[in-house]
Order: sequence, then structure tokens, then C-alpha cells
Amino acid sequence: MLVDAPYIPASVIEIEAQKAFETGKPGPAFGRQLATIALRGGALAVFIGVLVVFSVTAPFFLTVGNIGNVLGQSAIAGVLAIGLTIVIIAGGSNVVTGGIDLSLAANMGLSAAVYASLVQAGHGDGLAILGALGTGLAIGAVNAAAVTLAGIVPLLATLAVMNVVAGLELVLTQNTVVPASTDFLAALSAGGPFGIPVLAYILLGFTLVVAAIVQYTPLGLRLYAVGAFPDAARAAGLPVKSFVAGSFLASGLCGGLAGVLSVSYLSGSTTGAGDMLLPVVVTALLGTVFSRRLVPTITGTLLSALFVGFLINGFQLLNISSTLVSGVQGLLILLVVSATTLLGRKENA
Amino acid sequence: MADTAKSGEAIIRLENIVKRFGGAEALSGASLTVRRGSVHGLVGQNGAGKSTLIKLIAGLHRADEGTVEIDGKAYDRLTPHLVEELGVHFIHQDRLLVPTFTVGEALFLGRELRFPGTPFLDRAGMRRKSAEILERYFGLSLPHSALIAELSAAEKQIVQITRALIANPKVLVFDEPTAALVRREADLLFQLIRRLSAEGVTVLYISHYLGEIVDLCDTVTVLRNGRDVATLPVAETSAADIGALMVNRAIGELYPKPDVTPGEVVLDVENLALAGRFEAVSFRLRKGEVLGLTGLVGSGAKEVVRSLFGLDRPTGGTVRIKGETVFSADPAAATRRRLALVPEDRRRDGVALDLTVTENTTLASLDRFSRGIIDRSAERRQTENLVKRLEIKTDGVDALVKTLSGGNQQKVAIAKWLSRQSEIYLLDEPTVGVDIAAKVEIYRLIGELAERGAAVLVLSSDIEELLGVTDRILVFFRGSVTREFPSSETSPGEILADVTGAHETLRHAG
Repeated sequence: MLVDAPYIPASVIEIEAQKAFETGKPGPAFGRQLATIALRGGALAVFIGVLVVFSVTAPFFLTVGNIGNVLGQSAIAGVLAIGLTIVIIAGGSNVVTGGIDLSLAANMGLSAAVYASLVQAGHGDGLAILGALGTGLAIGAVNAAAVTLAGIVPLLATLAVMNVVAGLELVLTQNTVVPASTDFLAALSAGGPFGIPVLAYILLGFTLVVAAIVQYTPLGLRLYAVGAFPDAARAAGLPVKSFVAGSFLASGLCGGLAGVLSVSYLSGSTTGAGDMLLPVVVTALLGTVFSRRLVPTITGTLLSALFVGFLINGFQLLNISSTLVSGVQGLLILLVVSATTLLGRKENA
Repeated sequence: MADTAKSGEAIIRLENIVKRFGGAEALSGASLTVRRGSVHGLVGQNGAGKSTLIKLIAGLHRADEGTVEIDGKAYDRLTPHLVEELGVHFIHQDRLLVPTFTVGEALFLGRELRFPGTPFLDRAGMRRKSAEILERYFGLSLPHSALIAELSAAEKQIVQITRALIANPKVLVFDEPTAALVRREADLLFQLIRRLSAEGVTVLYISHYLGEIVDLCDTVTVLRNGRDVATLPVAETSAADIGALMVNRAIGELYPKPDVTPGEVVLDVENLALAGRFEAVSFRLRKGEVLGLTGLVGSGAKEVVRSLFGLDRPTGGTVRIKGETVFSADPAAATRRRLALVPEDRRRDGVALDLTVTENTTLASLDRFSRGIIDRSAERRQTENLVKRLEIKTDGVDALVKTLSGGNQQKVAIAKWLSRQSEIYLLDEPTVGVDIAAKVEIYRLIGELAERGAAVLVLSSDIEELLGVTDRILVFFRGSVTREFPSSETSPGEILADVTGAHETLRHAG
């Protein structure tokens, strides 16, 4: 043989490879677990830390009234964030190509405007509710078509739809607040049992229903499969595109529901619904750190909605400028996204 | 086992299948009969039509001509869903499991268990049942909460097979199942296949490793150029025979190879290693010499080439270029040492499709044409020379490279390094995806490079091509050089036997 190298049976290398395989494997897995625990523990610690700091510095912070208040104030953002969470579950959590619905806040604005305009025009609450939910569903359908039929990345598709929807709202309301007050709206925004607002109960009830579907039924499991690994879902015989389209319809419906809640909360439509987008995205992304597997969950989103709500509430109680709040929210997005991205990279390595 | 196989009736039968993609025929009259209860091997070189055939059975492609029968019944509109209902299940090479799922969730996805009378998932039940199945078939117990992402490659493979087993398959099709497994894990898989076969499951087994086929299967079908050239009982054949059937032995005057006397050593590789990829690789390359490297995916041959150019950082050994030891993993330094790499994926790494022929040709040697600003006319003169010399067919030196044919794009990729006056050429699969006429021109170009005193290293999985253009060939198998062959005195079958590990005896653990 002319080979300059000594002949080494392949089996020797394999034994080496196997050793590396056996000793090497626990390392990254353990590191990942540790990082996951650190991230989750860190999130919870920050959550509790924020509560403690606020309750010490702001005397009213930890009263039943204030907590109920925060729950009620978080209802609209919470419902929207749950809609966004469904889209992220079905589309995958890749920040660039994964599931995202940027049109949600604008959707809420238009749905609220439709509701208020119908009431103004003398229609009843029943028709107004149908109008608002229908508007939300229609926006969801446009998103679904743009993403699954036209094949546009959700980030771009929903960005475009967001602008269209915001424009429609301007046309409908002439950029004014359309007031609306009915008995139904008044009942929604009233206080409920134990001095906790009705909106708070709605948020909890809505979370319960959606969490039951998403986290405890085969449908929900399939939704996760479609988002996490479309090829695997396809191999299991699941219609991937229908699931993605369905997730946009669901989130559109959430936008419509949030619209109804916002009309009741503000006694009318509102301009500048788009400001809601940042807190909603923060809430949905932050929600993943409250799950064991670091995946988006409905209950995790509820927790993070409360966290964001307490943060805003605490800042208000401490008389800290509200402009600082969006700065903190932006920072949170950066932190959460980079932490989960780094973890994901470790997983693939 | 072989006796029952012979007596079983056909469970899958493909007759005279023709399948065209655009103008090219992927299958031109291929037939395959898999008998009930047999373990049937399917082999063929890259491009022989194996994967097209499998996709036909899976219902992912439809045949242009010919018939597909499953269980004695002909189907002309097979869908993946229908195929599964007929009891034919596939174990794909890439494990299609959701990484964030538990084992139970992954196993039952698509046919989940529910609490009776409710729409809710019975996670505990799925967990219990999957633990039971894994224990019974594999003696494997995984932690309750284990996620797919935390499993080893072999464990994932087992979960994937178990998914198919839950559906009570009649036929299991394994597509290159051992590609990602180490030996011990592969042994476990073979044991399992034998046991399934004993339980009456028919197995169709596709592999590059001829040793595995001989060890595991009772019947083997060899595909070549879109046709089945033989179906043999394994007991009456050998890995070397199968290898000989896989390659076309008639090598024509495809390879115009000039006679060059090699000069001094320009590239001296000693005990080069990259942990987990390859080990103890040593060879010397002389001026005017053409050296071939070959091996299966994962054999380490490609990684050696990448390391030489500085794309990977070796973990051991030395590389000397013209007597000078090279330390850095730095492609820019490699280029300065007059090393050139023509990568396999030329559209991604080899040429810039949206630039002109001129711009591509001078891309690596712009210093020569610029003193602050680029001397366009010198650039054009150089490019026109090279276009003439390499006979690049183009509308002119200002044509965009994307308008050129694949073979001519490859020539531009080589021209880029000629312009740089490179002396050592690393060519990675230089003729992939080009037609036969362009191949011959690339072979001629390789000969010309050697004639002009360059040292050329060709990495290719086309063994006939390597025998035609190189002086000697190093065969890689699972991370090391197993043999060196002089090109002029070797037959393709001999090399293929080494490439596929036919000389490796597999441990009989079952």
C-alpha cells in the first residue's frame, strides 16, 4: 500500500466516536437544562422582585382593589396576547420566519370602531358584537390568505394588513373618538364580585377556555407540532396550512373580542390602538419563559400579561413617566428574544 | 428466513416504471418485486433512481408509465395517506419528530389518546402505553418527562420506528437508516429488523452500505441508470459482486488524461484530525499530480478538503504547503498560499450569479487589476484570455453568470482561481449537475491544470470519473483513509467495495 498513513481499522474510530458520543451527550443537555432553569427561575425571580419592590415603595400596590384593577386593565392586552400566542404556536417561534400577527392591535381598533359606529347608528349590542367579531375574523382571514395562499412571511403579511386596517379605522372614525354607551357595555366595565372588575373575570374565563383547547386537546397538540416541526406534522398526516390559517382566524377573532372589551373599557372607540402592539408582543414573547419546555403557552401568556400589567401599574403608582414604560417593554423584548434564541442555538449545536 | 421469502407472494410490485422530471428520465423501465416476509435490499449509486422509486411507493411521485401494485392491487393514484392505510410505513433518514414533544406525544401525534367521552388528551395514558411499547420491543426505558430534543440519534430513530409499529405495519421501508448511527446503535437496529421480520413484517431496506445489505437482507435489487439491473438472493452473491453491478464497467474515452511526471511535493498532510469527523489522515500531493478522494457522506473526505482550505479548524496533525507549516484556519491565508477551492454548490459558494463573467473571474485577484480603482480593460483582457483558454461558452465577458449553463459556470469558478495564479486546486464534486459533454470538458481542464504544473485534488463520489481523471485515489470510510488505489490498475467495483464498507464485517448481534 502506498498510503502514507498507517492503516487504522474504521472500528477503532467508531469506538472513539462512540465514547465521545456517550460522554459528550450529557454535557450540552445538562447545560441546556441549567440555562432553561436559570431563565425560568430568573423570570420568576424578576416577577416576584418587581412585586416586592412595588409593594414596599407603593402602599396601595398589594391591595385587592389594585390587583383586581391590574387584572381588569390587562384584559384587553391579555386577550390580544393570547391570540398572538396561538399564531406563534402554529407558526413556530422563529423570530423572523415564524408565526406573528402584527395586525392585532389595529384589528382591535377597527373592531372597536365598528362596534361603536353600529351603536351610534342605533343598532343593538347583539349586532354590534357580531360586527366587531366579524371584523376581527375577516382581518384574520386576510392574514391567513396572505400567509398560506400567497406564501408571504407572517411578519411582512401582517405588517401590511396592520397598515390597511389602521387606514380603514381612520376612514370609519375620521380620526375621532366615537362614543358608545349601552347597558351591556356598562355591565362589562362594572365591578364584579369581591370588588374585582368584570373584565378581570372575562380575562380569566377566556384564558381557561383557550388553555383547555390549546394545552389539553389533540387539536392543540397538533397545533404545536405544526409550528415546531412542519415536516413532522406533515409526516403524521396533518394539514399544515389549514392549521396555520386557522391560527390566524383565531387570532383575528381575539382581536374582535378585544375590540368589544375596549369599547366597554373606554366607553367608545379609541384612536391610537396601534400603541397596544408593543405590550402585546412583549406579553406573548415573555410568556414562553413561564413554561417548562420554553414554548409559548396560554397560561404562560396570562402570567406574563399580569407581569406587564403590574409593571405598568407600579410605574403609575410611583409616578414614573409613562414614556419609560415602553422603553422597559422594548428592553424586555430584546432580553427574552435573545435569551430564547441563544438557548435554541445551544439545542441545535 | 430466506425460504419463506421465496415462497411469499408479492406485496409490493413495480413494473416497468418510467418517471421523467422535465426532460431527464429518473427511471426508465425499472421493476421491483418485494415478497411478503422478506428483507429486501435496494442499492444503487447516487442518481441511479433509488429515491425516486421510494417516493413512488410512498405516493409522493406518480409514475409516467408502468404499474404500481400493493398487495396484489394496482393503484394509479397513490397518496401518502392511502399508502399508510395499506400498511406500508416509512422510516425516513431524517427523523421527523417534534423536538419539544415528550416521547408519548411524539409517538401518538395524529392518533392521540383521549379520556373516553371527552375531547381532552389522555397524556398519562399515552405515556404509559409508549413506555410499554418501548419496553416490549426495545427493552428501552426513557424518563417520563424526556423530550425528543434530549434523546440520542438512535433513541430518536427508535421512537420513529415505534411510531410506525403502533400502526401495525405490513411493510416497513427503511431509507438509509444507519447514516446517523454509531455501530452499537446500528447493531441494535439490525436486531430489531430481524425480530420484526420474524414476526412477519416485510422490510424494504435502502442503504449505501453493502456490508449491511449482505448481512441483513435475503434478497437484493440493484438499480443502475434508472433500471433494475439484477435481483438476486443474497446467499448467492457477495458485496463485491453487488458493487460491480452498481457501476457501469465500460469506461469509454471520456477521460482525456495527459501524461505528467509529478514534480516536488507541494502539499504534505500528516496525521490531520478533526474530532468526530476524521482522524490520522496523511497524504502528499505533488506538482502535476491529480489525487482523488472519495467516500460516503460522513466518511470525512469532504471535511478534509474543508480543513485544508481553512473552513474547518483541524484538532490535530500538520499541513505543510511547499514545505511551510500552516497553522491558521483562515481561507484568506490559504488563498495567499495559492490554494484554490472550487466548492460543490457552485451556485451558492462558487460563483456570484448576478455578476458578469469578468467580475467573477477577477473576484479573487482584484489586487492585480487595481491601484485604488479597477483597471477595467486589464480585467477584460485577462478574462477574454481565460474564456478562450477554457472554452467557456458565453455571449461575452459581460454576460451575467446566471445565463451560463452549469458546466460553464463551473469553468468560471475555476477561471477565478486561474486568474489568481493558484497552484493547488481543491475541486469538490466538480461535475455535479452538469451534462456529459460539459463533464468531459471539465475533465480536460483538470488534465490541463496538471500539465501546467498545478497540483489538483478532486473530491468526487463518481468513482468512474475519479478513475478516469486522477493518478491515485484515497478511499475514506467512517473517518479515516482505509485504502489507496493507483487509478490505472483499479476497477470501479474494487473501490466501491471499500467505499461502502463491504470489507467491514458486521457484528452479528441478533
